[in-house]
Amino acid sequence: MSGLGSTGYDIAVGTYEDALAMIGYTTPVRFAEVPVNVGMARYFAAMVHDANAGFWDEDFATDVWGGCIAPPAMLMTWVIPIEWKPGGALPMPLLTARVPLPGTTFVNASNETEFFRPIRVGDVLNVTEELVDVSAMKRTALGEGHFVTTASTFRRQDGALVARMTNVLFRFDPVAA
Amino acid sequence: MIEGVDYAQRFFEDIEPGDELARVDDEITYRRVIMNPATTWDYFPGHHDPEYARAQGQPTIYVNTMHYLGFADRVVSGWAGPRSFLVRRKVSTLASVYAGDTMVGTGRVVGKRREERDGYVRHLVDIELTVGNQHGDRCAAVSVTIAVPAREDPERSRLWW
Repeated sequence: MSGLGSTGYDIAVGTYEDALAMIGYTTPVRFAEVPVNVGMARYFAAMVHDANAGFWDEDFATDVWGGCIAPPAMLMTWVIPIEWKPGGALPMPLLTARVPLPGTTFVNASNETEFFRPIRVGDVLNVTEELVDVSAMKRTALGEGHFVTTASTFRRQDGALVARMTNVLFRFDPVAA
Repeated sequence: MIEGVDYAQRFFEDIEPGDELARVDDEITYRRVIMNPATTWDYFPGHHDPEYARAQGQPTIYVNTMHYLGFADRVVSGWAGPRSFLVRRKVSTLASVYAGDTMVGTGRVVGKRREERDGYVRHLVDIELTVGNQHGDRCAAVSVTIAVPAREDPERSRLWW
């Protein structure tokens, strides 16, 4: 394991073969550390300037969805570990950052999500992530690297399926400036 | 009713393939990019540290994937209405949107269909969107399917989950 120094953002380092050996790995269930809440939901809606009544009007949202909903774009947010904990235990990064590869950095390439029910205030989500694929070395405008495909299944505390997501991330070494 | 909040709803019967969504232009200041990690808990340094972004080969900090998703969802539900349920969304990022850029959302309806399942019915609308910038670059290609209410069958198309 090696990190990115002052950035505080650690990603696993290894060879392409190490990454291939990890394909099929599925994480244990990770539980959200905070319930879906109206404060974070509205702050996100404020960031994207989204006036959707489901986020802002509790009466409307209760009538239509059974309660205030969170923006579906926040799906991943709810399962990101809290940055710091009393006692100093380090948060476990998402699976994409734990795939050992040579690239020093990454950018996201694509994200496909299917939703099965709305995400409501009070829901406590959980997720399992699976490493689905690691591409051979590819060259792009940003540099050379590998495309890492992960599939995540999100459920609610009662076990109900909330969403399935497939994400592709490009893990690369930047082109020398 | 709260002033400024979106309530207007399009129904299945009102929507036809070829319909253009209302264009959305949104100026992305440094402050907005920084709101991004604050609201999504995505502290990848490319979204808040210009020095790191430059070392990656990018000119400055750029919005994260969840911002693309949220912007696309805003363009869609702002047009279709808040009783729309997002069924599926695929975003392919083609270029970054940087602090100082303007995000431009455009889209159109490419299909509509009716789907029955477990005694419920869904009225689905397929939409293709582009997230661009002020230079006319294509920064993300987005395809979305939403379920919208129908006048034809309002009860069965409600709370289908």
